[in-house]
Amino acid sequence: MAYHSPYRAPPQINAPPDQSFLWNIFQRVDKDRSGVISDSELQQALSNGTWTPFNPVTVRSIISMFDRENKGGVNFNEFAGVWKYITDWQNIFRTYDRDNSGFIDRNELKQALTGFGYRLSDQFYGTLIEKFDRQRKGQVAFDDFIQCCIVLQRLTDVFRRYDTDQDGWIQVSYEQYLSMVFNVV
Amino acid sequence: MAYPGYGAPGGGFPGMPPQQQDPLYGFFSQVAGQDGQISADELQRCLTQSGMSGSYQPFSMESCRLMINMLDRDMSGTMGFAEFKDLCQALNGWKATFSSFDRDHSGTVEGHELQQAITTMGYNLSPQAMNCIMKRYSNHGKIPFDEFVSCCVRLRALTDQFRRRDTAHSGNASFQYDDFIQVTMSV
Repeated sequence: MAYHSPYRAPPQINAPPDQSFLWNIFQRVDKDRSGVISDSELQQALSNGTWTPFNPVTVRSIISMFDRENKGGVNFNEFAGVWKYITDWQNIFRTYDRDNSGFIDRNELKQALTGFGYRLSDQFYGTLIEKFDRQRKGQVAFDDFIQCCIVLQRLTDVFRRYDTDQDGWIQVSYEQYLSMVFNVV
Repeated sequence: MAYPGYGAPGGGFPGMPPQQQDPLYGFFSQVAGQDGQISADELQRCLTQSGMSGSYQPFSMESCRLMINMLDRDMSGTMGFAEFKDLCQALNGWKATFSSFDRDHSGTVEGHELQQAITTMGYNLSPQAMNCIMKRYSNHGKIPFDEFVSCCVRLRALTDQFRRRDTAHSGNASFQYDDFIQVTMSV
């Protein structure tokens, strides 16, 4: 079950890239040469395969995951983490986009999330696609797929915090429940 | 305990016009197909055409999706006429609450007004829960009507979900993990 699996970030697949390779990329992405890659610079550098801008909410989530100084961007050291995170997601996406359509459809999403350890009803996958599919195609593009997984992970984290005996059950007051949910979704 | 009423009563009380003569039915049937169900984008059209958003911006797709989910018992992703009526009743209530706070008719309310509106609707939330909600919905301290409705829909749906699991009416509910994920994600 996803809950008890150590699934946090995508699994380690690649060997670490070399520094000069990363530095080249960093410089290209850091257009204003500020030494920090901002949300908009990262957004411009990423592709979701649809010719539309990468989901800004996802960009924000990724930056804030690696921005250790709360500066609203990532420096070169932090960028290594960003690069790896995105590359790992690309590999996962390609793995589950079995028909190579560039999108993950409902069945492929089910394979992916079941693979990560989630146990969700069939109908729920429809709900997830509805909720995250910004292209209105009935399938999720790369950025929306990441966003979906990020939100699922956040909910798992918040659940874990309350499940002190780790039995997969929590008991919460109405207040706590509302706070939990509004903090995440 | 914080459980509120929903404000407007449910539909179907005596003296209601039969379905076909109900003005809302006209808008609904224009958009619904043979199956008498509407999806999120049809709902968006329906609400705009029937003037439910009033002088405010039309509802976003995200809000319409939320509204469908709020009333969607069988997780079909669509809404029938009875649910549509329920929704319109709730929307009218929320619109009235919102406009009572939007005194300058700007189409937005401020953070503290959102708080007051939520309390007016019967929710009795802690400052901490209120803060979460305000952070989630305010854009530079202002909340537009569409986001206000989105907040109300979520509050109502979440309260419903919570209530169903609080069988002892104690104000506490138990959630199993898989259930928690599905319930909170579908809201």
